[in-house]
Amino acid sequence: MIETSSLASGVVLANEGGGGLHSVAASGAYSALWLVVGLPLLGALLLLVGGKRTNAFGHILGTAMALGSFAVGVLMFVTMLGKDDADRSVDQHLWTWAPVNEFQADIGLHLDQLSVVFVLLITGVGSLIHIYSIGYMAHDENRRRFFGYLNLFVAAMLLLVLANNYLLLYAGWEGVGLASYLLIGFWQHKPSAATAAKKAFIMNRVGDFGLAVAVFLMFTTFGSFDFADVLGGSASASDGTMTAIGLMLLLAACGKSAQFPLQAWLGDAMEGPTPVSALIHAATMVTAGVYLITRSAEIFNASPDAQLAVTVVGAITVLFGAIVGCAKDDIKKALAASTMSQIGYMILAAGLGPIGYVFAIMHLVTHGFFKAGLFLGAGSVMHGMNDEVDMRRYGGLRKYMPITFVTFGLGYLSIIGFPLLSGFFSKDKIIEAAFAKGGTSGWILGAVTLLAAGLTAFYMTRVMLMTFFGKERWKEAPAGAPADWHEPHPHESPTSMTGPMILLAFGSVFAGGLFVLNESFVKWLTPVTGFSHGDLPMSEWAVTGMALSMVALGSAVAYVQYARRDVPAVAPAASLVTVAARRDLYQDAVNEGLVMRPGQYLTRLLVWFDNRGVDGFVGGLAAFIGGTSARVRKVQTGFVRSYALSMFGGTLLVVACTLMARMA
Amino acid sequence: MSMSTAATATLAVTKVDAPTIEYGKLSPILIIAGVAVVGVLIEAFLPRPARYRAQLTVALVGMIAAFGAVVWLARDLPDDHRGSVTAMGAVAVDGPSLFLQGTLLLIGIASVLLIGERRLEPAGGDAFAPQAAAAPGSQQEKDAAAAGWTQTEVYPLTMFSLVGMLLFPAANDLLMMFVALEILSLPLYLLCGLARRHRLLSQEAALKYFLLGAFSSAFFLFGVAMLYGYSGSVSLDKIGVASAGAMDNDALLLIGLAMVAVGLLFKVGAVPFHSWTPDVYQGAPTPITGFMAAATKVAAFGAMMRFFYVALPGMRWDWRPVMIGVAIVTMVAGAIIAITQTDVKRLLAYSSIAHAGFILTGMIAMSDAGVSSTMFYLVAYGFVTLGAFAVVTLVRDARGEATHLSHWAGLGRRSPLVAGVFALFLLAFAGIPLTSGFSGKFAVFQAAARGGAGSLVVVGVLCSAVAAFFYVRVIVLMFFSEPKVDGPTVVVPSVMTTAAIALGVAVTVVLGILPQPVLDLADKAALFVH
Amino acid sequence: MNPVNYLYLSALLFTIGAAGVLLRRNAIVVFMCVELMLNACNLAFVTFGRMHDNLDGQIIAFFTMVVAACEVVVGLSIIIAIFRSRRSASVDDASLMKW
Repeated sequence: MIETSSLASGVVLANEGGGGLHSVAASGAYSALWLVVGLPLLGALLLLVGGKRTNAFGHILGTAMALGSFAVGVLMFVTMLGKDDADRSVDQHLWTWAPVNEFQADIGLHLDQLSVVFVLLITGVGSLIHIYSIGYMAHDENRRRFFGYLNLFVAAMLLLVLANNYLLLYAGWEGVGLASYLLIGFWQHKPSAATAAKKAFIMNRVGDFGLAVAVFLMFTTFGSFDFADVLGGSASASDGTMTAIGLMLLLAACGKSAQFPLQAWLGDAMEGPTPVSALIHAATMVTAGVYLITRSAEIFNASPDAQLAVTVVGAITVLFGAIVGCAKDDIKKALAASTMSQIGYMILAAGLGPIGYVFAIMHLVTHGFFKAGLFLGAGSVMHGMNDEVDMRRYGGLRKYMPITFVTFGLGYLSIIGFPLLSGFFSKDKIIEAAFAKGGTSGWILGAVTLLAAGLTAFYMTRVMLMTFFGKERWKEAPAGAPADWHEPHPHESPTSMTGPMILLAFGSVFAGGLFVLNESFVKWLTPVTGFSHGDLPMSEWAVTGMALSMVALGSAVAYVQYARRDVPAVAPAASLVTVAARRDLYQDAVNEGLVMRPGQYLTRLLVWFDNRGVDGFVGGLAAFIGGTSARVRKVQTGFVRSYALSMFGGTLLVVACTLMARMA
Repeated sequence: MSMSTAATATLAVTKVDAPTIEYGKLSPILIIAGVAVVGVLIEAFLPRPARYRAQLTVALVGMIAAFGAVVWLARDLPDDHRGSVTAMGAVAVDGPSLFLQGTLLLIGIASVLLIGERRLEPAGGDAFAPQAAAAPGSQQEKDAAAAGWTQTEVYPLTMFSLVGMLLFPAANDLLMMFVALEILSLPLYLLCGLARRHRLLSQEAALKYFLLGAFSSAFFLFGVAMLYGYSGSVSLDKIGVASAGAMDNDALLLIGLAMVAVGLLFKVGAVPFHSWTPDVYQGAPTPITGFMAAATKVAAFGAMMRFFYVALPGMRWDWRPVMIGVAIVTMVAGAIIAITQTDVKRLLAYSSIAHAGFILTGMIAMSDAGVSSTMFYLVAYGFVTLGAFAVVTLVRDARGEATHLSHWAGLGRRSPLVAGVFALFLLAFAGIPLTSGFSGKFAVFQAAARGGAGSLVVVGVLCSAVAAFFYVRVIVLMFFSEPKVDGPTVVVPSVMTTAAIALGVAVTVVLGILPQPVLDLADKAALFVH
Repeated sequence: MNPVNYLYLSALLFTIGAAGVLLRRNAIVVFMCVELMLNACNLAFVTFGRMHDNLDGQIIAFFTMVVAACEVVVGLSIIIAIFRSRRSASVDDASLMKW
């Protein structure tokens, strides 16, 4: 519906951007831009409205829509490659939704070097995960609905990165939140899944509140939602305003990207189907915060305080996620903690300003590849192991699942930063940028990123070893196993699942190299985000050397602990730190003590007040209106003569008032 | 009133020119009039079993052809979108006429689809009495029902009514407006009394509608007489010229405009001329209620706008305060009384009263934006209303349509699709964003605020809030209450009702998400010919 | 005679008609009162036509008569139908729908 009508409304020239974003109206191949969002949206509509009728071909349709969107995305990319830097960003004004004097709620898209990267990542990885899900969800009776939600997610995420104003971005932001909620709770018959969905939704609301406030602030300050006006005008606004907007955007980013202190939902979100974890909670949606900060670069550049806050949040989360990841026995939760930590890297880099934006996005892309690959690998393992997620009940699986082992292994090497793989380049650049910030804070941030690199190597090696090497611990029945326990028969997954894993593995290996070759990625993004070389207090080789030695150290410790010794099938008693890490560093206890309990008391107080005061008023008003209604309706007596009387009286009144109006 | 010049004019008339009529410009109206006459002939000459198909085909084809004619005329409008007057100045063919005629024809098509529905009655037949002349409960009636008789006169009656409706907003003189008013009303009086079920209520509705309608026409006519007395003409243009320089001594003008306004306000169901609305909406056969609620409002608001914008633009400071008062009372009374209604059709009737107030808000703006927003609102409102009444025809128990609200409890569990569609219509009535109702309310309130009627907008928004309460109450009832054990069933209709409902849903959603093309169209069509 | 007097008569007839609508119970009489109001309008039209010295008023009166005749057809059929089912032509009896 929307697709055809936006065609009808035509593509008209958008206002020329001033300041930060110069762009021209979409024409030529660019005019198909709306299809990028339109196709998956159409898919979602067909699948969710079509209902059971589409059961038979729903998964094919959904996948086709994602692939179609990817194809259009590639077309956009190729078109863009053929243009000069200055002509690369385009605006497509679709229609105006609600025009009121200054309030222009435009529906318009903006494509530039930054958003095209996201478009390719979202549709590319998204398509792979659609294909993977065909096999993974083959036996789920609600597979059609699942694909509908996936399409909905892809559409909303694309809207988020393609919007040309903050209001529409907000719509996409809420859209991905909704899709994420629906997908985490997809198996809603499991109470844990339903709870996790709710938790994710509520914690995201906190972040969304931040975005809403930021958008309000922008409108009152700049009188517009357009990127062009807001970012272009950011130089003229006061520092205080910019800091306020920046901090609110940061709050939004924390919610969506699971950054400290709003990180607690991500681990629980793993209750959703694994493809969802791969697509939404690793590769795309959780990176929306990084996109938001990078897109709003002008705002953060104008406010060093907000930037500092961003780096602090990033630094805390990097370590937080890494420490939690070291202790998790649930393979998906370990990967989730790792995601949190890796996004911490990106946020940290984005907080560094022009020296970091490009590398934040670069790491985001490489992370999209290897983390999605790792999750799909984990899904493949679970698929072959009766949906077991406890790594203590894995072991020695490399013989049974060779393809999964190889692809997972490549993803693993990439994430720990094995030389010349994707993760190596992107992470190394972030560490360099952190040191290059200069001053004490530069040294601290650099040290944090180095330490986190070591921790990453430790926990990922641990995951690798516990899953694919060592004794085959799954052969014995676990203590307290149910009576119908039977030994799993690990097997390789079908081609529809391994295919995407292989493709992602290629990305994990080669993407980073391509990006740094000839500094192509930096050159690509510089026109949008700006770029400056920092002042590195030592040689690049020294940084690389330190990083590699941290990686080697971390891996070695893990090797000693998990390969040289047997892994106990039950988690052993351990030190306070380990226990704390196992319990997510008490994040839930902290949330409960600091937010939930006081919140409950506050709620009770408010409810009490509400009952007495507000409800008394509102209830009284409602009762008054209802009572009036009950009395007034009796005027309708049913007697036609009384109706005629009311008309006659009304006529006299109207005539009299008209005559009076002249007198007055 | 200079007697001498008028006298010489009379003397000078020695030769009478034959009036010219541009038939092409009247073609939409003439096509439908022809269809109505053919419908009468079909009743006279075709055997009973063949009539249904013939009537339905003729009516639908005729309306589609007339719609084509409207489009053709609209393309022929000059670039400045001012139209022209035809039939010796009696009929205006301009943007508002054509826009509203197009809307009326689309509503007419959907209504005829509802009227033609024959799948809902378990014993067969449509929503109309097998033999209207037979007394309710008599042996004669039972025989007619057993024989499977149906009344196909409803189609020509509907078409005659539609002729009046097409003419009403296009009428450029008050005599034509009066004739159009009667042409649209008289068939409706009859149609209201033809329900197959609850015939006593239906006949009562017809009686009430007829007596009050005739009463209001008398006021209208008296107002026309006063305006004629003031200006010496019933042409809107000439009244406009005469009233532009109105001075103190113009009681005739003021009384005339007030009484004509009363006649028009009666048709749109504004308070205090609304009292027929709930009873008639409840008693009439539901397809007719839908047609009446949607199309009459479109036609009557069209006529009202033309009357005020063409004949009385110079008098705005006299009529605006009164109309603002009427609009406020209408919104408030409609919203408040609706809260305690227990019958779905009555609820929708009061809701239509409240909406009449919202639409008046747009008209009062007295600007092009006011005209275009009002027309947009009429499109949005017309299709939502028609769709809502179409859904009402589907929810039935042994006694026919189950219109008591308590029967609708838990409908969402039993029939999520139908309840979901009805919920969409209710949300549109309430003006929730992303439905056509929001776009419409937004447009009229914006126009009113710019037109300097801020107080009206405040009242409008408050009333929308009150109104939202009872719409949402129905949604809650449908989705969050336990279904009754002996509750109604949702009958699966034929493709005709489905198509009408689908049209309603489509318009509601499209105008909610993408209102711009229709808003643009209404903007272009907002100029009255003078 | 001053034509304005006819206007006064017209207004008087209109008011009598309106009062009849409000006061009488029999549907037929109510209906006749409405007709009286229409005829009062006719008188006004003809008088104004005379005052303005043009024919419009008289022509309109003919139109009104035709419309009134149509109204009679429709109105009587409705009243007869309701009389058949209720055995009463009182407008007060037809009050099933209210509130």
